[in-house]
Amino acid sequence: MSASAQGSTATTKAVVDDKNKNGETDKDKKPAAQLEEDDEFEDFPIEDWTEEDTQIPGGTTHLWEESWDDDDTNEDFAVQLKEELKKLGHGK
Amino acid sequence: MALQEALEPFLAAYASHNPMPVARFLDPIPPPQDPGRLYDFWRASSEDKILADVRYALQNGMPNRTSFDEVQGWVDIIACYWRAVDRILKAEQAQNQSKLSEKQMVDVYDAWKDLTSNFIKYISNGNLPHWTVFTLYFTANNLRKFAIKADEQLAKAKPVAFSAGFQDDIVDTNAKNEKLEEAARVFNRIYALCVGDRNPDMMSSRKWGVYCIANLQFKTYFKLKAISLSKNVVKSIDAQSDLPPFELYPASHRVTYKYYVGVLSFLQEDYAKAEAALMEAWNTCHAQSVRNKELILTYLVPCRLITQHNIPSAQLLNEYPHVRRLFGDLVSSIRKGDLSGFDKALAAGEPEFVRRRVFLTLERSRDIALRNLLRKVYLAEGYEDMKAGQTEKDRVRKSRIPISHFAAAFRMGTAGAGSGQAIDDDEVECLLANMIYKGLMKGYISRDHGIVVVNKKGAFPGTGV
Repeated sequence: MSASAQGSTATTKAVVDDKNKNGETDKDKKPAAQLEEDDEFEDFPIEDWTEEDTQIPGGTTHLWEESWDDDDTNEDFAVQLKEELKKLGHGK
Repeated sequence: MALQEALEPFLAAYASHNPMPVARFLDPIPPPQDPGRLYDFWRASSEDKILADVRYALQNGMPNRTSFDEVQGWVDIIACYWRAVDRILKAEQAQNQSKLSEKQMVDVYDAWKDLTSNFIKYISNGNLPHWTVFTLYFTANNLRKFAIKADEQLAKAKPVAFSAGFQDDIVDTNAKNEKLEEAARVFNRIYALCVGDRNPDMMSSRKWGVYCIANLQFKTYFKLKAISLSKNVVKSIDAQSDLPPFELYPASHRVTYKYYVGVLSFLQEDYAKAEAALMEAWNTCHAQSVRNKELILTYLVPCRLITQHNIPSAQLLNEYPHVRRLFGDLVSSIRKGDLSGFDKALAAGEPEFVRRRVFLTLERSRDIALRNLLRKVYLAEGYEDMKAGQTEKDRVRKSRIPISHFAAAFRMGTAGAGSGQAIDDDEVECLLANMIYKGLMKGYISRDHGIVVVNKKGAFPGTGV
């Protein structure tokens, strides 16, 4: 079932792609658009580079969120939760 | 223009002993500044004269010390290239008239395969200098692209519908990827040519081509959905004891290789290995290659959720809007401990998550959303009353929390958008036990008292409380 459904999507896509191709003159654009579909790692325009070329000036080096806290106290949910818990009381 | 003149760029490129300029001469796409290059080259000769023309030009043009066999090699290679250009121009012409047939794309592919095979033949004979293996890489990469195009044309010409039901590696692709599979076998030969070089002088070894050819194989096998064949490439490389040190390979080879190793480890659920490989790819990737950085993040973000329970920073998501579009809702639900938001985001993204093979991994990150919800309850409970001598600083959070409080949070956390989902206390207890078992929460459940006693020092490890 699902395999045949996938098959038909692929065919539709191929037809659409073809229409795009006919309208386009720039050859370089075609593979790029297709690869985006495919998740394929792109060819780099140059072979080698240095460490400096790996950093964007002003780009973030802070990849991961380090704290879970910054908006905890005044966030709606936290306020509502406190209200709710108050209602329940501290039944230990 | 005579062919002799048309070959001058080749002779200059060859004299540089640099694989890239030679590859540019053998490029199937004309450079932007000279869009008529292929046509000019093609017009300089003809099918029946090309071999003699090239031989004449190279015998006179190549350095005197060039061996007869090497000249012969280049004569064949350039004649093959001329024939491929001939097929390319014909296919282009047909395409401009909207009359492109599958036969013409197959002709292009076949001509390019001929070029690639000749290249392999003369390199393995030892007739061409070692650095030409990189030129061969570019030629082979173009073979891959032509194979894909030929397969697309073939699929359009005769749609085949018997693939349903086969999911095992290559079987499914039998009908529609005939040329790419054939190309994959060519790449195997090139890989063997690189890895099997016995030349003890590392500076002129073809082993420098190992990673870029491996990358070509990855791209091919991923397209063919033959993941296990990709694993064989990694195994083969891991088994090589005498490759040059990895860090000495060009950055583009290293980044691409690490990306694919990372994705393969990810698919095998070896998240620690995947994270290490993807981080290396990320750190080495060229800053301008935004698309590739996004692809790395597509796997690194889910990986990191599992290995470190980390979510990407807001800055990172802002810098890569595609990644934000992909994971933004999910990440903010995790952050807020919003379970119904998480379920909605996961369902909304499911088709794309599945296509990118990250769905199952993302599904597992619901635990982190859950942990964050429980953590909010803990925070909302507040502090124990201060004892004599205690200051604001060393106040202690309440560590005995009624299960009913967690249940209340669940009702609120999952009731959003009219789901009206009710969870009874037993179920909550079960979820809590699970969290404790997984180490996301430290403490124990006291069933008799209907409370959870959490660890006073680090109830939710890694979250600051």
